[in-house]
Amino acid sequence: MYATYVIWAKHMHKFSRSTEEAIGLALQSVMWVVLFGVGMRGLVGDVGGNDYMSYMLPGIIALSALGGAVGGGLILLDERLRGITKEYLVAPIPRLSILLGNAASTATKALFQALLMLLVGLLMGARLAGNPAGWLAALVLVALFALGFSGLALAIAAQSRSIMGYHGMIFLFNLPILFASNALYPLDVLPTWMQVVVLFNPTTYLIDATRALAFGTPATLPLLLSAAVVLGLALGGVGLAYVSFQNSLQRTM
Amino acid sequence: MTTLAIEAHSLGKHYKEATALSDLSLQVEPQQIYALLGPNGAGKTTTLSILTTLLPPSSGTARVAGFDVVQQAHEVRRRIGVTFQEIVLDRDLTGRQVLDIHGQLYRLGKAERTRQISELVALVQLEDAIDRGVKTYSGGMKRRLELARGLMTKPEILFLDEPTQGLDPQNRAGIWDYIRTLNREHNLTVLLTTHYMEEAEALAHRVGIIDHGTMVAEGTPAGLVASIGTELIRMQGSGDTAHFINTITTLPFVLRVDQDQQQGAIQIYVDNSTRRLLDVVQMAGSNGMRVDDISIARPTLGDAFLHYTGRGLRDS
Ligand SMILES: Nc1ncnc2c1ncn2[C@@H]1O[C@H](COP(=O)(O)OP(=O)(O)OP(=O)(O)O)[C@@H](O)[C@H]1O
Ligand SMILES: [Mg+2]
Repeated sequence: MYATYVIWAKHMHKFSRSTEEAIGLALQSVMWVVLFGVGMRGLVGDVGGNDYMSYMLPGIIALSALGGAVGGGLILLDERLRGITKEYLVAPIPRLSILLGNAASTATKALFQALLMLLVGLLMGARLAGNPAGWLAALVLVALFALGFSGLALAIAAQSRSIMGYHGMIFLFNLPILFASNALYPLDVLPTWMQVVVLFNPTTYLIDATRALAFGTPATLPLLLSAAVVLGLALGGVGLAYVSFQNSLQRTM
Repeated sequence: MTTLAIEAHSLGKHYKEATALSDLSLQVEPQQIYALLGPNGAGKTTTLSILTTLLPPSSGTARVAGFDVVQQAHEVRRRIGVTFQEIVLDRDLTGRQVLDIHGQLYRLGKAERTRQISELVALVQLEDAIDRGVKTYSGGMKRRLELARGLMTKPEILFLDEPTQGLDPQNRAGIWDYIRTLNREHNLTVLLTTHYMEEAEALAHRVGIIDHGTMVAEGTPAGLVASIGTELIRMQGSGDTAHFINTITTLPFVLRVDQDQQQGAIQIYVDNSTRRLLDVVQMAGSNGMRVDDISIARPTLGDAFLHYTGRGLRDS
């Protein structure tokens, strides 16, 4: 899977050269944490035995990973529309490596953004749990989560015929994922029907586990279950992307 | 020769909306330059896409460098270089990065990549621009960079989809030169598609004329020209053209009559143009045609094309 590395490195190189994208991503992260965090903190105070900044940080990190996934799908779509994927497709490399290269660069950027948000969050008063192993585990989960959702985004990008169509489809699943989750409010304040919906959302599991691992908020769901759901999401997302991509190769653009 | 470089048997590609290819067969000997000539929508790109493993055929089989393009796609990919009809370059990279990343995809070592890049950059004369961003390149420079990219991995067989489309005569002649050099000195087999008769005539050992997704004629450029009635009288006139064409078509020495839709020129293929010139002029007069211009012409590949596809190249 050397080709995965080559494609990842190419995307990272382009990212590092594109100051606009890098600064945009950084500012976005800072703004989310500062504006959202400060505003909501005034409203809410403490949740689940922890200050609200610590409480909502995993949620906005998950949100930024979603945004990153959308961006990753866009890169594939752009390369497809401009024909650049054809250069990969006639090369003696596995087709999966094209997707993995893309998903890996997306996850890397999401991780970079997560770290930045974490830093700003800490400056704003969030408190980390004592155990660095927990932080690491949380980061791994965030990366897997980003991988999974970039898979879903790639699956859509492999079929879209235009940037507009892609955004339309993405919008459909992006918003509910944030609001129908425990990102902004604890599970037990929700009505039962909403709790059921929220439990079908993998974002809920990521956030719950991240809160527990990195910030010491007591987990409301079994940690192992959360980890399994996030891993399942990653595998499922990549699998779906692969099927969708293979299917798109039956015809020319 | 033992194995053919490229062989396709009854390739078909069917979409819901349209049939792109039906029953196309093709054979290319090693170390040949083969040109696929055809009007827009004839199926040239589809053929190349199948042979380069980009698209699976709906029916038929094809082998490239002795390997099946579906079952052994990986082996085929290792042995071919490809340039596409539209320019496919990452605008945010420099020329050197484009070539280097391409080499990495094929797992060439660092030293080999450096060597290949300097050799190819000299061949396509991009020394001055190679470290500049691709977005600063002109169309001709991009085409040359793409050609270099296709050659990075020392392919046995090179596929070029309209390699000189949109280039000025100087750039075009340059690319023809590179292709000839590669073919002669590196024994490279080349399959290219083109709209330009001159290109096929100048470059190709063999030409295949393709139309409506199938091969309509095939041979050497000279052979194709010879295969359509021996000689040609070209006439420009005004009057009841349809009637005139109908009348002379029935003459025993007239093998075929075509009319170019755009210019209105009537092409009369005859057994012997010098001997029949006077007959044609007389026929025109007695059928109420005014002859504005008449000449004896040597048939060209363009005439062969018109003969086999029934239309000029640019009026699809
Ligand atoms: N994905 C597709 N879906 C439906 N029809 C298609 C598709 N791709 C190609 N076709 C059709 O197949 C036919 C052959 O197309 P192809 O691109 O191979 O032609 P071409 O000879 O390369 O033409 P040009 O000279 O314009 O490049 C065309 O009629 C085209 O409309
Ligand atoms: Mg074409």
